[in-house]
Amino acid sequence: MPTIRHASRWKALLLSGAVLCLAFNASARAANFESPQDGVYADHIDWGMTADMSGPSSGAQNPWGQGFQDAVKVVNEKGGVGGRKINVLVEDTRYDATAERVAYEKFVSQTPALGTSGMGNSSAQTAMVPLIKRSKLPVVGTYTTAKAAVEPPTPYFYGGFCGFKEMAQTGVGFFTDHLALKQPTVALVHLDVASGKEYAGYMEAAVTARGGTFKAIPIKVVAADATPQVLDILAMKPDFVAIHGVTTTSILVMKAMLQYGINAPAFAISYLGTPTVYDGLGPDAGKNYYFVSCFSPASSDLKVSVALSAAADKFGHSALKDDVNYVAGYVIGNMVADAIGKAGAEPTREKLSAMLNTGYVANTGGLSSELKYTPTDHFGLTALKPLSFDYATKSFKSYGEYADFGKYLQ
Amino acid sequence: MTTLRSSVLRLLCWAIGIGFVLYVPFVLNTRTVFGYRVGNMVLLNLGLAQVDLMLISIIGAVSLNFLTGCAGLISVGHAAFFAVGAMAAAAAGQQLGLPFAATLIAATIAGAIAGVIAGLPSLRVRGLYFVLSTLALHFIVVFCFAEYQYAFHDVAGVTMGDATIMGFELDNNVKWYFFLLPFVVLVCVMLQSTLGLREGRAVLAMRDNELAAAASGIDVRMLRLKVFAFSSAIASLAGALQAYYFTSVSAEIYTLDTAIQFIAMIIVGGMGSIRGGIAGAVVWLLLPSVLVGTTVELKVLPGGVAQFLVGHQPQMVNLTFGVLVAVLLITAPGGLAGLARSFAARGSRQGSGV
Amino acid sequence: MLMQFLASGFMLGSVYGLVALGFAAIYKATRVFNFAQGMLMATGAYLAVTGSVVLGLPLVGTIAFVVVAAGTLGVVIQWLLIRPLAGRPLLAMVMITIALSIILRALIVIIFGGGAQTLRLGLPEGSFVLGSVRISAIHATAAGVSWLCMALFMVFFRFSKAGLLMRATADSHEAAVLSGVNVNRINATAWALGTILAAIGGVFLGQLQVASVELENIGLLALPAVVIGGLQSIPGAIIGGLLVGLIEQLSSGYISPKARDIFVYVPLLIILLVRPWGLFGERELGRV
Repeated sequence: MPTIRHASRWKALLLSGAVLCLAFNASARAANFESPQDGVYADHIDWGMTADMSGPSSGAQNPWGQGFQDAVKVVNEKGGVGGRKINVLVEDTRYDATAERVAYEKFVSQTPALGTSGMGNSSAQTAMVPLIKRSKLPVVGTYTTAKAAVEPPTPYFYGGFCGFKEMAQTGVGFFTDHLALKQPTVALVHLDVASGKEYAGYMEAAVTARGGTFKAIPIKVVAADATPQVLDILAMKPDFVAIHGVTTTSILVMKAMLQYGINAPAFAISYLGTPTVYDGLGPDAGKNYYFVSCFSPASSDLKVSVALSAAADKFGHSALKDDVNYVAGYVIGNMVADAIGKAGAEPTREKLSAMLNTGYVANTGGLSSELKYTPTDHFGLTALKPLSFDYATKSFKSYGEYADFGKYLQ
Repeated sequence: MTTLRSSVLRLLCWAIGIGFVLYVPFVLNTRTVFGYRVGNMVLLNLGLAQVDLMLISIIGAVSLNFLTGCAGLISVGHAAFFAVGAMAAAAAGQQLGLPFAATLIAATIAGAIAGVIAGLPSLRVRGLYFVLSTLALHFIVVFCFAEYQYAFHDVAGVTMGDATIMGFELDNNVKWYFFLLPFVVLVCVMLQSTLGLREGRAVLAMRDNELAAAASGIDVRMLRLKVFAFSSAIASLAGALQAYYFTSVSAEIYTLDTAIQFIAMIIVGGMGSIRGGIAGAVVWLLLPSVLVGTTVELKVLPGGVAQFLVGHQPQMVNLTFGVLVAVLLITAPGGLAGLARSFAARGSRQGSGV
Repeated sequence: MLMQFLASGFMLGSVYGLVALGFAAIYKATRVFNFAQGMLMATGAYLAVTGSVVLGLPLVGTIAFVVVAAGTLGVVIQWLLIRPLAGRPLLAMVMITIALSIILRALIVIIFGGGAQTLRLGLPEGSFVLGSVRISAIHATAAGVSWLCMALFMVFFRFSKAGLLMRATADSHEAAVLSGVNVNRINATAWALGTILAAIGGVFLGQLQVASVELENIGLLALPAVVIGGLQSIPGAIIGGLLVGLIEQLSSGYISPKARDIFVYVPLLIILLVRPWGLFGERELGRV
């Protein structure tokens, strides 16, 4: 063990020496801007990315990370940003608040990064708000956005995923109009964890705002069966059902609804609009399953997804391009590159966060709804649209444009 | 002559050790050694946040080692006691408005009380059945924590107050390091000296042969409860410190996995000694970072292998740990501390032979 | 409503019972409290994915593949991890199974990736109505197969020579060794059987939802099941599994799904305090 450590230490010394020499040469030639404490070097920029890659939500967050990295790879192949390649420093945080914090602090000073993305753990975000404000390392484009992190907005935190409140409002609004209901009766199956409680609150507000009746039915994260939940639904006879949970939740609830002959449509949160869920459901249970999303799976709009598909095919992720999580990562990867470019030829953390804070609109090429930050709103994405999967053509189908559903948001 | 030389040598070792412990946080914080900036891998890909969390884990691991290694009571309830500590500190700080230092004391007392309650099954069952009673305890405590969180705090987590002690706010890692260090030293010294006392010897006697211990007049049942209360009080203190360090904690972070990791720590480090607990926590908390850093450095390996390693970094780390525990269990039951001891024994034997 | 809960609880409980039975088989023969039983169950689901999706085997072929592969895995585990620890204290035995589950989890994620895998074996879908109760065909199949496996196991355990030796070894390890029984072979058989039973449970749970490593946490419910039933009792394990299934459905249905943990683990605690040998077990040492 000590010998190995020694060897790597020597190697590291040699490497850092080599890097120093290189850096010296480069600076002698072009006097390029460098700011190592911000992760900005003459030829590259270090950028952090955290995701759950081996923990309970790795099934969804891994595709996100792949999408993010693929987008950055494409940017780098085209020459990077302002002549600098983006070097993504990846940390697996296992959906663990401790690991999330360690990773963030690592990007602050240990292997300094210009900014960081991902951070898909809202409890960790809530706990880290004071740390982020102190450390001033911008978090740009998160996989989930905790309320405490953006209300009130800080210059160092920018969301990057559809919000629960908007999911609830869009879903309830769309189905109420779509089914021509006056006062909708809605059942929600949600996880009995923090985010599930939060979503239940938003759903209740959205339904009662339309004078409807609402019932929240909790389910465990690790469930083997959804019979009690579905019997609750059966007793309530809702016009439509909403689902918050993990892949398993959707599959269990939809299959049990089929079993009990409940024909009401169901809409799930964005994270659950994945090919895995539709594949697991099969056409019979899947035909009633919708989801609301601010990202478009590749097959739902072939015109705008050309570049995304090319990148996914090129880096061996063809199977992921219809996964909204992959698309989300891809959009955020591109946004990060674009934002660094807009932070000027001499980017620093301070300049980047100042630029974003004064107002920023990303060009997402139609892969998502408008992604913009204003001084008062750091949430990023707001508009969503309903989607479902067509088993006959094996492609996702959307029920309109993002702009059509802005009317449901308050 | 030799005794003088060896005592000077020992003094020197201590001085260097203490100097190291006092200087390390500054090195890790500024990433410089005596003013010279050093690369990340030179510092083994470690950060000060990890070291702070390691200090908290050391407190947890040594207290579990006292319970399991010294008293022979196996418990998977350590995550639950961390939760009890966090809950008590939050309740004392947020609901009752007590200052930081008082909440830590409250957490310790709550831990001791919870320990007595959780230790009650030990009056009737032991061995595997006792492990299972702590398993049940774990789920019950986490359920209570979730209810408490939803009832009195935000769904996103139980918010802790500021960690301020006499107007001095613990708001960065260096301050936390120097705040946590005395706790670690105090807990280790306390446990070590307890083992030297009559009660401590009784604990070891009870582990080694319960009937004999009972025959020699030790009230085995009371002793077990005392040990359990003592150990869980310390674990609760660590839990409260951890919660304050995080500023906000959620029921979801107290998983059975956390409890199992503490057991893994003492197995890796070595059962039944303070040193073993420390070594285990150090390895368990710091090795992943070192491994991950090394796989990144391994980019020089032939394309496929390096890509595979980097692509499966987290799984590789988990695999390494699983295998490490299994191999240590099979080949070195004394853990790292045991290995070091036998290594030193062999060294001194050879030395005396020359 | 109540009948419906009882029916679905019974069917789910049958699968738990099967997993718990595998657990009890291992415990009875080798005195190893196998915390990896949940992971072995998840492994079964992934073995089925390997058979049906990767190798493209038909239903019968997949089942044969799962049984053979799980049996082999059990023997390998016993030979590689359990045998070297024979005679070591309880903690080492408990911890080695935890290490085993960490290793299995990492290997599964390395091979299959972290995402869930769809498992479709072509078992009957759809549902039928029986009296006032609606039953899904897949649940009924799962319960039926579970009871069949349990019956087969009981027959094996009662009447076959290997089963007899296994019972003899469980009753007195020393006596078995003295009378020339190859204890290692008996232990390997127990591990093979335990792993196969867990794997079959995993195939059904994977079929009811998806194959993922998170199935481990469902499999861990076999722990309280087996203790409530009685660690030493084979029928106790099955009844414990049924009880846990019923408790889960009734508490989710009438109170809240969160209450499941309380309604499973509080009785566990009470049983440990009042009757540590379980509802159906025999009084044994391990108490003060």
